[in-house]
Amino acid sequence: MMFQLDVLIENLFGILKVVPQTLLLAVIILILSLFMGGCLALIQRKKIPIISSLISVMQSFLRGTPNVVLLYLGYYTLPYIVQYIVSLVGIDFNPHHLHPVITVIVVFSISFSVFQSETIRGSMHSVDHGQIEAAHSLGYSFFQTLRKVVVPQALVEALPDIMNSFLVIIKVLSLAYLISVVDIFGQAKLLGAYNFSYIEAFVAAALVYWALCSFLTLLINKFELRLRKGF
Amino acid sequence: MLSLKNLEISFNNEQVLKGINLTVNKGDVVTLIGPSGTGKTTLLRCINYLEKPDNGEILLGDIHLDYTSIRKKDILKIRRKTAMVFQQYNLFKHRTVIENVMEAQIVVQKKSKEAAYKKSMDELEKVGLLDKIDAYPSQLSGGQQQRVSIARALAVEPEVILFDEPTSALDPELVGEVLKVIENVAKSGMTIVLVTHEMSFAQNISTKVVFMDKGNIVEEGTPTEIFYQSSNDRTREFLNQFYTEKNSI
Repeated sequence: MMFQLDVLIENLFGILKVVPQTLLLAVIILILSLFMGGCLALIQRKKIPIISSLISVMQSFLRGTPNVVLLYLGYYTLPYIVQYIVSLVGIDFNPHHLHPVITVIVVFSISFSVFQSETIRGSMHSVDHGQIEAAHSLGYSFFQTLRKVVVPQALVEALPDIMNSFLVIIKVLSLAYLISVVDIFGQAKLLGAYNFSYIEAFVAAALVYWALCSFLTLLINKFELRLRKGF
Repeated sequence: MLSLKNLEISFNNEQVLKGINLTVNKGDVVTLIGPSGTGKTTLLRCINYLEKPDNGEILLGDIHLDYTSIRKKDILKIRRKTAMVFQQYNLFKHRTVIENVMEAQIVVQKKSKEAAYKKSMDELEKVGLLDKIDAYPSQLSGGQQQRVSIARALAVEPEVILFDEPTSALDPELVGEVLKVIENVAKSGMTIVLVTHEMSFAQNISTKVVFMDKGNIVEEGTPTEIFYQSSNDRTREFLNQFYTEKNSI
């Protein structure tokens, strides 16, 4: 079997076509998981009795189960959960009409929110208490303090970790192919089967992943330097 | 205009303030002195509710509150009538000097950017930092940072400014510039409550000196009364000890 350069190049272009949708999916999951992670961190910071311990159990469950398992679990249960919830407001919903992309988004957002909440909690701790007191002394409300003092500084601290999780999400999306959502890996698999050139296809996929992640790392490092002014 | 009645607070079952009564009139410069760990700073922090008193009442301008039944809204009200200058400056690290002074005006007082900018420039001129407006706190000396934090406090036009050992964290050669600024603030008629270990400064600037020991106010009076005419043993002991230590260095 010969390694064919022209097939590789052809596959590269084929894979590049799905990069935008893969990125979009990753961004959606990142944003949702950050939002949920933020809520989790806030709830735990406030130490709300029952909810806090429920969250701890959920976190330990999500941390202790592989993403593949969670994905399949979501794939087989989520449509029925959605059907049930929607039926509560009196709408009929066929569970088979739930697009697997929704499942991917929901499952990974929840699963990553656990890690994001840890990141967010740590970064919020890093903002020195004196500045929070200063804001309070000037009459900032809880949310004003959060928005103007804590979040901007915590974000800088959290940025490397958030970036890292973004790369992990991009890579984890390769599992989405298992429930028929085509990302970079899925496309490579399809192209490999189509040309009967698996090696070229996966080399192309690896190159695309690598280039993508390097580029994003570079971008975020530049951005971080700008944010770090004053630290 | 500011008065505290029977203020009590405990930390871990240890009573730190044992029923403080204090009155501050408009334009007063009230200095709290006394040995370390007697609750001077705690008292100051109770005024703007950074510490939560267990008992007592506060009267501030037209606000009258009982600490046992205080609501969130009340806390904000008090804080919006006061400002504090901290020992560790506590400037917002991610904001430039001018932004530090502007932000509360915009966020809390809902002023326009232009108005906040103008006010901030006025205050920064008073503390002599017009040449540093675009610097970040980390690029300034401690003395400069403390002057910014004074400008930040002045910019919200509080009815009273609380100074919490404003020069204790500074290198000796930087203390003077900050004291000078505080003196100017006092001269401008601002009402001030100050915790300090700078005795000669307290003597010069104060309209009233309050000597505290072990969670109580032992004695209060004019600087002359406290520093030269006190008949209270504990006050004299503290001041003697203080001056002996200073002379022995």
